[in-house]
Amino acid sequence: MKMSTASRRSTPLRPDELAHAAVMAAICSAIGVTAATVPFAAPLLTLGTVPMALLTYRHRPRVLGAAAIAGTVVSFLVVGLAGPCVIVISAYVGGLVGLVKRRGGGTRSMLAAAVAGGTVFGLGVAALLAVLSPFRHVIFDLITIYSAATANVLGVVPGLESGADRVRDAAGTMIRYWPISATAMTIVVMTSVNMVAWWAVSRVFARLGSIPDVHQLDQVADDRSVAPVPVTLRDVCFRYPGTDHDAVGPLNLHVVSGEHLAITGANGSGKTTLMLLLSGRQASSGTLERPGAVGLGQCGGTAVVMQHPESQVLGTRVVDDVVWGLPPGVSIDVDQLLAEVGLAGLGERDTAALSGGELQRLTVAAALAREPRLLIADEITSMVDQAGRETLIDMLTGLPKHHDMAVVHITHFNDEACTADRIVNLEGNEDNVDMVISAPVPTGRSASSHHVGNPLLELKGVGHEYGSGTPWASTSLHGIDLVVGEGEGVLIHGLNGSGKSTLAWIMAGLLEPTTGSCLLDGTPVSDQVGAVALSFQAARLQLMRGRVDVEIASASGFDPEDSSRVERALSAVGLDPVLAQRRIDQLSGGQMRRVVLASLLAREPRAIILDEPLAGLDAASSRGLVTLLTELRRDTGLTVIVISHDFLGLEELCPRTLHLQDGSFPTTSSPTGGTR
Amino acid sequence: MTTPQTLPKRTRRRTRPLVLLRPVPGNSPVHRLWAGTKLIVVAVFSVLFAFFPGWGTIALVMVFVLVVARLAVVPRGALPTMPRSLWILLVFGAVTAAPGGGGPTFDVGSTSIGLGGLLGYLQVIMLAVALMGVCALVSWTTNVSEIAPAVSKLGRPFKALRLPVDDWVVTLGLTLRAFPMLSQEFRVLGAARRLRPRPDATTRRERWRRRSTELIDMLATAMTVSLRRADEMGDAITARGGSGQISALPSRPGTADAVAMAVVLGVCALSFVVQLAASG
Repeated sequence: MKMSTASRRSTPLRPDELAHAAVMAAICSAIGVTAATVPFAAPLLTLGTVPMALLTYRHRPRVLGAAAIAGTVVSFLVVGLAGPCVIVISAYVGGLVGLVKRRGGGTRSMLAAAVAGGTVFGLGVAALLAVLSPFRHVIFDLITIYSAATANVLGVVPGLESGADRVRDAAGTMIRYWPISATAMTIVVMTSVNMVAWWAVSRVFARLGSIPDVHQLDQVADDRSVAPVPVTLRDVCFRYPGTDHDAVGPLNLHVVSGEHLAITGANGSGKTTLMLLLSGRQASSGTLERPGAVGLGQCGGTAVVMQHPESQVLGTRVVDDVVWGLPPGVSIDVDQLLAEVGLAGLGERDTAALSGGELQRLTVAAALAREPRLLIADEITSMVDQAGRETLIDMLTGLPKHHDMAVVHITHFNDEACTADRIVNLEGNEDNVDMVISAPVPTGRSASSHHVGNPLLELKGVGHEYGSGTPWASTSLHGIDLVVGEGEGVLIHGLNGSGKSTLAWIMAGLLEPTTGSCLLDGTPVSDQVGAVALSFQAARLQLMRGRVDVEIASASGFDPEDSSRVERALSAVGLDPVLAQRRIDQLSGGQMRRVVLASLLAREPRAIILDEPLAGLDAASSRGLVTLLTELRRDTGLTVIVISHDFLGLEELCPRTLHLQDGSFPTTSSPTGGTR
Repeated sequence: MTTPQTLPKRTRRRTRPLVLLRPVPGNSPVHRLWAGTKLIVVAVFSVLFAFFPGWGTIALVMVFVLVVARLAVVPRGALPTMPRSLWILLVFGAVTAAPGGGGPTFDVGSTSIGLGGLLGYLQVIMLAVALMGVCALVSWTTNVSEIAPAVSKLGRPFKALRLPVDDWVVTLGLTLRAFPMLSQEFRVLGAARRLRPRPDATTRRERWRRRSTELIDMLATAMTVSLRRADEMGDAITARGGSGQISALPSRPGTADAVAMAVVLGVCALSFVVQLAASG
């Protein structure tokens, strides 16, 4: 793990520090809320110390302070006073553990620090009790009550009468000398919590060991006035530190204002590296010329829109996100910008309620608020559904016509690249074959003709409503009737928000539908969780161990020493057994998906559901995965259910296609042609 | 095609979930109050409880909460269902406190029963409930996007003390943005764990080991995913040239806020009087 080298204590937080503080504060609040509202969950409190310890370990104290304040306010809003108590304790204990870790101390120095810190904390508690005397009396009354209750009960038990007096005396003494007893008790409790936290943090740190820093953009200091285009690259190469080959180059490229340039190439061809070079990274060799500073995120500078829709939106309300980060005093026409990206009238909307496509358009609006001269879009459609993709591309294509700017669009979709004025392919010519060609929407076929074997999964009148009975109730699914036969391949297709994922959760037994039933072999699938495997869109969440072989063994329930089974599981999904020793965080997105698949298949599930299995994969990986699944279904008779907004090459894997629209299957599935 | 079939109705316990950081739909006068006013009210009541934790204060604040909830048209459904284990815990607390006895007493025939224990216990519980009610009102009537700007305005005086208020406010806004995203990810993480087989554990030691391993697994995965999320968010901030404005709409108190503050101060004064009357 990396520690920040910055010792500039008094400068404002940098972007990465802000983001880390916010995310850790959010985790801590989530843990705090659980600890405060779920009975007997108080031990969870020690978990809240882990994020805070990590923050202290990697950053300066100011970052911990910001996280503690943010976490305090958020948890206070959610659960009242108990929340801030959890956050304050987490920040104090986590901070101490993080500091000891940072200094390289061991258990003994931790214990010393814990006792010393606990003493200060205890004195603080005593001081607080001294000030809040009425509150103190309420607490002491409660202690007296409980000791009296214990004493009264003991008093009627023959032989324990002397114990009764002892309890009463002890409580009395404790209250009489409360400054001492409160301090002492705090020291004991905080030291214990500290040592438990030390144990948890040490184990988590050991696991996180070499966690990769995946951040890409850096602010570049440049005194020149902002002018990113025209930019000229001559024989530019870039090599990441610690590697022995160039990630990209030698490159020759000239980008002028007013043009729309598409950059294509397979994963690993250096597309993203090119994005980094254009947004200000120093080239390793060659010359990169531009008239002024890059001005990343500055008015008239360079704007970058990246792959993950959710991560890029920083405001909780649409209008707030458009202005987020603009220098104070700069005012812009928010409504006009929203109209330009096709979000007119959605200004008051919560950003959490937007679809992937809408989020990306919002990010573009925020970029346009800075009137950039260069806009770089890096695979902005790979997490977006078909309809969203088309709108997004239309919008992008229109930009250089209405603004004085150059658009550089990095993509692995062929049809997207074609809308550009010019295409630059980053790795020879043969790569063109590897480009993903967006497939037309297949016709929904009548369900009856495709029953392969006996009915396996039966959904009868399934409906689901989130937040039933509350003012926030929302219906996600209704009236779903579906029978999936053994060995069948089904594609459930729908747009964002159509209820696809809810349906997947219900079919895997993770959610009990609010109406109707979902049966596997005649019994509710929710009573047999695990019988139907589910591969989530976020594969990383399904990989809980540090190394591939341990992960596969743990997830499929066999001994990690049994290397032959690990090998078999890996080769079943077309992975080289050499990967068994690899750390999970060194795998590519496609490999992660396959490792998840390997673990799920090793348990021989009755059926497997794949939620957006192709999202974020490049052409070669997604084609390989589809081929693999097709073969598995053909050879082993595995029942495969794919939930996706993609169609590409899925016809053979899933001969049966169902369209999910607004939470139900329309009675007549019709060819839709992807324009909705 | 599937054949329609009548199913034996399965009775399911309908539990209302705890919905976090989402206001009850509506546009009542309470919804329209400045978020900063609501935060001040919560702070004022917390201080009030710290110094006057008597029954009088509890009753007054409870009434205040109920009246405001009615004004804000908060339906009863907004309250989450209390899990049964919490009820059991509460009853257990009461049963164990009851033998504490003490005044006031309640006479049944010739024996007198001391209610002091039970009352003392109830006082602490009701104190917590009343304060939770005040907090719940804020979260039921406030859009999360209004909170950071309000804190920014409230925190302005602290800038004179050279406290990094701007950092705090930006972090707070981002935390509120990240909270639902991470909650969703943790939900998936929990589901992923349920899909995994649990190794057999017969002895207590094995069970403890299994539980601690599971805990560390989940925590390490959660941290990895969150750190990635944080790195991406950091990129997004960099792409916007660092932090700056956080809200497009003005955030300031109005006349309604003055009225609300007056009412709250009235409640405080009244509870002060009640407390004095009770003790003197």
